[in-house]
Amino acid sequence: MRSRGSPFELGAVFAIASVAAAAVTLFACSAPPADARYTQTTLPDSASFSPVAELLDVRCGTLDCHGTAFRNLRLYGSSGLRLSESDRPFVPLCDTAGELTQDYLSVVGLEPEEMSAVAAGGDPALLTMVRKARGTEAHKGGQVWTKGDSSDSCLTSWLSGKPNPGDCATALAGVLPTGTSNPLMQCLAQPPPP
Amino acid sequence: MIPSQRYFGTAALAAAAVTLCAQCDPVRGDAIDALGGEAPGVRRGPLHRPGQPCLLCHDGDFRDPEGFSVAGTVFLTPEDRTAVNGATVHLTDATGSSFDATTNAAGNFYILPSQWTPHYPMTASVTPPAGAPIPMQTLIHTEGSCAGCHFDPAGTNSPGHLCIELADGGTPP
Repeated sequence: MRSRGSPFELGAVFAIASVAAAAVTLFACSAPPADARYTQTTLPDSASFSPVAELLDVRCGTLDCHGTAFRNLRLYGSSGLRLSESDRPFVPLCDTAGELTQDYLSVVGLEPEEMSAVAAGGDPALLTMVRKARGTEAHKGGQVWTKGDSSDSCLTSWLSGKPNPGDCATALAGVLPTGTSNPLMQCLAQPPPP
Repeated sequence: MIPSQRYFGTAALAAAAVTLCAQCDPVRGDAIDALGGEAPGVRRGPLHRPGQPCLLCHDGDFRDPEGFSVAGTVFLTPEDRTAVNGATVHLTDATGSSFDATTNAAGNFYILPSQWTPHYPMTASVTPPAGAPIPMQTLIHTEGSCAGCHFDPAGTNSPGHLCIELADGGTPP
């Protein structure tokens, strides 16, 4: 029959617990200082982001996906979550300047180091959002598009500093439920909101 | 213990674990609680809880009620909750497969997984009993309940309940 712990055994347990607690404390102290920041060295162009945002809003930012406050890569836009308390889905029809700004910040701020590397000429697939959309990384929304198609090109050409709004328009017309007659297509023809 | 008893015991434990896990999602539990009880005089069935997110309960989990793949309610206008009986909800999935469901007296429609399960994204249109199809202008990516997005009150994150007529005589997007 095993006896209850002797004083020696209890001491050993206490010593081990103390060492573990000290290790945890030391590890916590070795974390970066609270004011440490990574400064993005290169960013994609915000002025040419509007057509990309329109595509992301439609393909990713619907209310049942990234158009919700409960997801990372939160996207605002006409066909999903609105930024202004007075706005509603489709009212106003096109994305507002504030929504474009928030979408841009969501996209460039998701993985700051990788985004800088891609904007400086790196492979767009460094970015998780590119891999998830291509279906090469697990994604609750599944594969959204295929590498090299117009949707993929819309995003990656912009990331690489060679924006191609024509690809964004082609991609949108191809996926919107009513094609070129969809009211959201009008937004592509308008200049970005000031 | 004979082998059959051991297998039975293991299966019973597994079933209990699954049941417990299914019942310990506090977010889902809170969402279901927030729906409240049944309306007075309406029994559980095809006519109950119009306008609520059907798949919250009808999720095919290891218990009652039966799971749905897509379900929702069609109302007449944004302002009130008059049900549209006999509307055709036409759904098309990413593979081109489509399914038509018809709303009942409560405006409800539901599709069982055995009837049709969409590959997302999916498009939808509603054809009133008398009138032309009204296409939904955005894609549905993951949500099988119309009311998962179309809930009241309308706001930054919802267009309001699903309807087919606007006050100006137009149709909603």
